Amino acid sequence: MIRHIPNGAGLAALATLLVFPLAYGGANYDFVMHLWITAFFYAILASSWALLAGYGGQFSFGHMAFMALGAYGAGLLDNYVVVTGQPTRTCLEIGLFGNWVVFIAPTGVSKVQSCLEMAQAAWPADATVSRFPLILGIIFGAAIGGGAGWLIGTLVLRLRAAYLALFTVGFSEILRAAISAEIWLTRGQAGLPLSPIFPDGVTLFGTYFPATAKLPAYYVMLALFLGTLLLLTWIAQSRIGLFLRSLREDEDAAEALGVDTVRYKRVVFVLTAMIAAAAGAVQGHYVGLITPNTIVLLQMSLVIAMAVIGGLENVVAAAIGAILISFALEFLRTDFFLFGTRIDMTTWRLVFFGLLLMLTLRFLRNGVIHGALMWIDRRGVGAETVAKRRAGQTEGAE
Amino acid sequence: MKTSFILGASALALLSAPAFAADCPIKLGGLAPLSAPGSVTGGEAMRDAMKIAVDDINAAGGLLGCPVELVVVDTEGLPERGAAVMERLITQDGVVAVGGGYHSSVGIAAKDVADGKGIPVVFAETWNDQITADRQKYIFRIAPLSSEVSKIYAQFAATIPEVKKVVILAENTDYGLPASEETKAGLEAAGIASSTFTVDIGTQDFSGIIERIRAESPDMIIQLLTGEATYNFTQQAAEAGMGPGDLPMTCDQAALESGAFWQNVPDGNLCFINAVGLPRALYNDKTNAFVAAYTSATGKSAAESYAMEAYDSIGILAAAITAAGSTEGDAIVTALENITYSGTLGEITFPVNSSNPPEAAGKTPNFWHQFPDPAVTMVQYQEPNQLAADAVVVFPERYKTGEAIISGQ
Amino acid sequence: MDHPQFFFMAILWMVIWGAVGAVMIRRAYFARDLDVTQARAVGVAVGAATGPFGLIPLYLKTPELTRRWRVLPWLGVAAVFTAAFALSDPDNVCVTSGSFVASQVTNGLIIGTIYGLMALGLALIFSIIGIVSFSHGEFYMIGGMVVYYMTEVWLPGAGPVLAVIFACVVTFMIGALFERAFLTPIYDGRVERPNEYAILVTFGLAFFLQYLVQGLSGANPVKARPFFELPKTNIPEDGSILATTRSNITLFDTISVSTPRLTAAVISVLMLGLLIWFLYKTWWGKGLRAVAQDRQAAAVAGINPKVMNMVAFGLGCMLAGLAGAVLVQAFSWLPQTGMIPALRAFVIIVLGGLGSLPGAFIGGLLLGLIEATGVGCMPDPTRAAAYLPAYGMIVLTLVLLLKPTGLFGKKI
Repeated sequence: MIRHIPNGAGLAALATLLVFPLAYGGANYDFVMHLWITAFFYAILASSWALLAGYGGQFSFGHMAFMALGAYGAGLLDNYVVVTGQPTRTCLEIGLFGNWVVFIAPTGVSKVQSCLEMAQAAWPADATVSRFPLILGIIFGAAIGGGAGWLIGTLVLRLRAAYLALFTVGFSEILRAAISAEIWLTRGQAGLPLSPIFPDGVTLFGTYFPATAKLPAYYVMLALFLGTLLLLTWIAQSRIGLFLRSLREDEDAAEALGVDTVRYKRVVFVLTAMIAAAAGAVQGHYVGLITPNTIVLLQMSLVIAMAVIGGLENVVAAAIGAILISFALEFLRTDFFLFGTRIDMTTWRLVFFGLLLMLTLRFLRNGVIHGALMWIDRRGVGAETVAKRRAGQTEGAE
Repeated sequence: MKTSFILGASALALLSAPAFAADCPIKLGGLAPLSAPGSVTGGEAMRDAMKIAVDDINAAGGLLGCPVELVVVDTEGLPERGAAVMERLITQDGVVAVGGGYHSSVGIAAKDVADGKGIPVVFAETWNDQITADRQKYIFRIAPLSSEVSKIYAQFAATIPEVKKVVILAENTDYGLPASEETKAGLEAAGIASSTFTVDIGTQDFSGIIERIRAESPDMIIQLLTGEATYNFTQQAAEAGMGPGDLPMTCDQAALESGAFWQNVPDGNLCFINAVGLPRALYNDKTNAFVAAYTSATGKSAAESYAMEAYDSIGILAAAITAAGSTEGDAIVTALENITYSGTLGEITFPVNSSNPPEAAGKTPNFWHQFPDPAVTMVQYQEPNQLAADAVVVFPERYKTGEAIISGQ
Repeated sequence: MDHPQFFFMAILWMVIWGAVGAVMIRRAYFARDLDVTQARAVGVAVGAATGPFGLIPLYLKTPELTRRWRVLPWLGVAAVFTAAFALSDPDNVCVTSGSFVASQVTNGLIIGTIYGLMALGLALIFSIIGIVSFSHGEFYMIGGMVVYYMTEVWLPGAGPVLAVIFACVVTFMIGALFERAFLTPIYDGRVERPNEYAILVTFGLAFFLQYLVQGLSGANPVKARPFFELPKTNIPEDGSILATTRSNITLFDTISVSTPRLTAAVISVLMLGLLIWFLYKTWWGKGLRAVAQDRQAAAVAGINPKVMNMVAFGLGCMLAGLAGAVLVQAFSWLPQTGMIPALRAFVIIVLGGLGSLPGAFIGGLLLGLIEATGVGCMPDPTRAAAYLPAYGMIVLTLVLLLKPTGLFGKKI
């Protein structure tokens, strides 16, 4: 009986998540929605990282960099490529089915007129200018992330453990410095703006939601999250998952037994990088801005900590860990009084967080969520075995 | 199955429990970066100043018969966090107006949220022109415009005799980059050549860049660095014989926290500092009272300009709520547009507003809801270990209290 | 850059011939049944430096790849790179001004000494316990903070010597305690993947320490007084050989070094000497080296490896703390100060070869030079220093790709 709790709770949680935005009516609706969307975003990152590190044993610190590549890929298309109904004659452009795909030369932070703005001045008022399709932008971002994942996966084929960690830290730092310094393209620390997911709003369930409404973004991110979880659990349980685990346990032995280690290492890198990049692209469009500071080691460590506290060897547990921790970090911000002194939780919450991470690692090696699931599972087994034995004994006594 | 329903229901209950904005106490929000990668030094100063502001308001009997409560949120210097915490302030904490704000990129991301929800914001220390240039109904600013400050730098450089070549050292942030372009343009207009060096925030060791600056043989160095970077650069430049004692050099306003400045930059004498806020001689009662409260609360030797701005951003919101007689957003905006508030920075007004749009006023859109005249001055430490309050105002003419000492000439 | 085409052509040349060399030379050595461990790296270097002119003879003769073969071609690569750079950008201050180059090199070496000291700690930990500590930067930060609080707040006038020693004691104690409490499971196989466990748990420690210090001491930049101030002298009268001011030394009117930095470097070198003495002359040091070489054999010889683990981790953390302790008089200090030096230490130990102590120190000097060159010579001034954190990382990437064992490393 007790063993069915995880499944039942999972279904209930799923149902709750699906109806939550419709059922919830608190005054802090937008903020709670925002927390959920961010939590899904981190859950996607943490669970895909759990596949990479927990199953594949590839302890990469480059996950946030893949995420940022996806967001910047989508952002660059969003900013510098538009579809127009008129040729500009000044920009680089490609005619396509009576429309023109216009490539605008990047202007960085300086306020010079772009070739499109110059052309627009001479256009009739009804000329259409629309952004590059969002879904193509996200796919492009994911493809860039996947490409980078392939590259990193290839480069680290020979590297193990500490070397791999250091290499990916290096990769992230170079990317951060480059994005900060190449202002003409990325606008540096000022951040690259992205258009909303639905710039003209969207009508769902017969209700119109404006561009800034949280509900459509919630469902988009939830869909991506659930899709990711399905894909990851399927992979984890498939033959690939088995191969990945063999890679992690003993690479040489796996290779000797005929597992194509090179191929599966690459596959897991490309796949998880694409997932991270897609999440980055969607989150970028939702937040409306992406800055190089998202790649700092601190942000990466947050994702790692979420996956670890949830449970590295279970993608669902990692996702639940991410959701719990992103809420906890938010609610831990409230100051409290201890022996008459005010504890400034903005700082101290991260002290507790570090302590929690260390203690989890030390004493709950399977993570909190995964550990709990295993405990429930084992408890059931124990009870059953005892019952069976008893049954056996009584049978024997007869 | 029963358990599942209970689980789901309790999850819902848990999330819906907190906060509905009650009428009393009146809640005001404050934005400040309180953890990395934000500038924690600036953020903590602003938080402390805003707390003093609310204490002062409550000591004077609160607003509309209610006590005032301040909710300071941590933006972490990240734009996406900025938008999120603004969301939180408005929907979770139920604030009626928001003050503070340090990083410009955070301000730009946060202002759209507030404007969309009709909550007035008075930005304290976000210099980027775009904050006001978007002409949003609920957005005000008492910090100076980045482009105006850059003009002051250029004009000041032009007053120093024999300055032909200037090196601009900027941090690669949303503050440093536009400011360096504007300063460069201003210098060019004054017929002064310049070259720009950019550094990553968090740089500790400036020795390489100092040698490169030396190779350019500049007549003056303009720093567009914030926080500890300005301390590190100034001291290391001084040790290399390129400091404020060797050639004219401007330092960031972080230098105005004179206790920390002299501890970190013992050789920083003769540095020119771009100061925002009234010069010492023109301090009003409010400035004096605030500086006294702030220094005793924080143990610092002086109040930085961002602390004063943060104090005023809360103070002016309180005054507007009193004038409006309501905590409703539109009423506060109307009150702010007509306000003349006497704060630590002097008389604050927002003359370019809905009844006097930029076109009619003959101003650029940057001046929308902008305090047009924050006293932006250049002050100079003229003795080692001088207090910020005793530093000499050397520019512009109308605030001048002494002559600039030009080093190296 | 006046003629960027020269530079990019040279880079293209080096990349193509380097790749050709990597493949061909390895194949040649493989075909003749010779030792191929060095073949790839030597092939890359010879190809990049000389192109077909060196590759063909090497391919035909396949000589034994001695140390000379492993070093000289790389110097050739550096020479080709430098020449191409000088040709393409003849007005660059790096090309035109000898005194500028001398100054940059001196400053790079001086700061490199301290980088080396810090990286030495990380290498020591790796060589004994076999893990990379991600909290190394926090110990650097704490070392500096302790010296500041000792000399300015707790015991003003205590003197720098006492403060530095106290910083060493504090960082050693924190390191040793942490090792006892959190790292013991990795020795007896109680953790499935010790490397990853160690990375994560030290990451947690980094979080904990950084925010703990921020919570306790606030976020204002602090700085200790310079340990040492020079009298003003000029030799000869016009100071053309040696001129000193309170905080600066100028040699031959060209090389200028600030006193706090020089003091820090001198203390580092002294400490390095002390460390070498400790490692090679004392029982504890010999024990440590024995454990690093062969755990089981050391245990048989009566050395308790567990105690040595604790000493090694504490000592490693102490070296980071020491680097911070001597630099707090040169730089302003914040709780976040440790991040960038930690990344730098990673680069250095990979460059030197994970776990190699001499490698770590020489790697530190090299990285000091590379950073000084990057900042000094990059043509675009708006990028030169903005890429400062990336220079080391680019080196790290290249080393991991071309020669993952680093300069002095054993095979991984």
